[in-house]
Amino acid sequence: MSDPAYSNVVTEHFDRPRNVGVLATAPDVISGRAGSREQGTEFRLTARVAEDRIVEARFQVFGCPHCVAAGSILTDTLVGKDLAFLRTWSWRELASQLELPTTKRGRFLILEDAVRAMADDWARRF
Amino acid sequence: MTQPCIYLDYAASTPVDPRVAEAMIECLKAADTHGNPSSMGHEFGRKARALVEKARAQVANAIGAQPQAIVWTSGATESNNLALFGAAQLHADKGRHIVSSKTEHKAVLDPLKQLERQGFTVTYLKPQSNGIVAPEQVAEALRPDTVLVSLMHVNNEIGVIQDVGAVGRLCRERGILFHVDAAQSIGKVDVDVEAMHIDLLSMTAHKVYGPKGIGALYVRRNPPLALRPLLFGGGQEGGLRSGTLPTHQIVGMGAAFALAAAEREADTARLRVLRERLWRGIQEVGQVDLNGDPEQRVANVLNVSFHGVEGESLQFALRELAVSTGAACSSGSDEGSYVLRALGRNDQLAQSSLRFSLGRFTTEADIDAAIAAVQREVPRLREIAKLSS
Repeated sequence: MSDPAYSNVVTEHFDRPRNVGVLATAPDVISGRAGSREQGTEFRLTARVAEDRIVEARFQVFGCPHCVAAGSILTDTLVGKDLAFLRTWSWRELASQLELPTTKRGRFLILEDAVRAMADDWARRF
Repeated sequence: MTQPCIYLDYAASTPVDPRVAEAMIECLKAADTHGNPSSMGHEFGRKARALVEKARAQVANAIGAQPQAIVWTSGATESNNLALFGAAQLHADKGRHIVSSKTEHKAVLDPLKQLERQGFTVTYLKPQSNGIVAPEQVAEALRPDTVLVSLMHVNNEIGVIQDVGAVGRLCRERGILFHVDAAQSIGKVDVDVEAMHIDLLSMTAHKVYGPKGIGALYVRRNPPLALRPLLFGGGQEGGLRSGTLPTHQIVGMGAAFALAAAEREADTARLRVLRERLWRGIQEVGQVDLNGDPEQRVANVLNVSFHGVEGESLQFALRELAVSTGAACSSGSDEGSYVLRALGRNDQLAQSSLRFSLGRFTTEADIDAAIAAVQREVPRLREIAKLSS
């Protein structure tokens, strides 16, 4: 049974999200967090960095199916990316890819905040 | 996803019982029942009228009323509107204060808001955390200018049963009109308008395995209670509800209410066992709250808040189950249910709530499949949403 509220991509990543979890704290692990349960959306991102590139990433999210799918796709995308990518990443392309309803844009801005927080953590550590 | 959807949303609407459908089809197919039930001058009209009156007696019998006290409407929303506007406006010379509760259905709350715009004052009682409005709360809210009390019998979201008998008694003692929205109670709990001192009672067929689009309002006859109609026209139903009577719909409601009265005890006993099975299965995922009083509630409704999961994801993850969510009744907004919030649940918990409502055609296999889905998906979502620090 399909649900008109969610695209096939959202459904696929919601049902089988990639990279769920958190990387244990370590010198080469960066993290970023934004939002809150009270707001209805909270993201936590962690990634391992080696030779100025992300080599693996994980996410956790308290949020709607679009947010789960966003965390799944983003963490796949992050592998191989550098600090500059995190600094300039925008929610818009992912929103378009996932056919995000305009009423949910604020939730992806929270994800963007988490990405920026991770960039700041990277800049502080390396 | 290819698996069939399991229907656990009987409190929203029920399938038509095949026996009811049979009676309706018979009525539609018969060669001599298509007359206007108001056309008493010929056999076609008289035959249709006989069917309407048989159904009126069936509905009356289900609530302990006389048949002449039943007025056909299009459903509970119209019945509520007719009761509230009809009583308040006609009796406004006696006072303009109304008492109701915060957890009524929108079909009561919105007419009351409209009456407020017309100069009435409404006291909305906040139920206790178990969803019950204590009769003492009603007593304390009554004023010399109170003309009407409106309280639902069974809450549509959490299934708690209000003590309408006690409220009816204190209203009758004070000469205050008492309206009860009984959309959710027929076939689930005993309804006796005489014993409960009810002046006006709203009913609908589609929650009782009857068709959509037909309902009724009980209007006290002894002594007769006057109402101002909403619709004007041919003067049907004693002038209270103009419009040609839909014979086959009425036949369906009559048959449905007759079955509800005959099978209530067997239905509720079976459903209580299934609901308890479901609740035990759901509790195994831990960190769940039952919404509403654990005892004073109907057998077929289970409203549960799930901690640690986001409401929309919960609903989508369990899309193989046709259930209602805590956010469903606020038409797509992200606000949690106003009923659950009135019980003191925060927005997040109200959103992460599901109403499972069982019915006549729910099977043990349905319940076991629902339990399996909850036990699979809730821990999965909690893992995604864990966000440990």
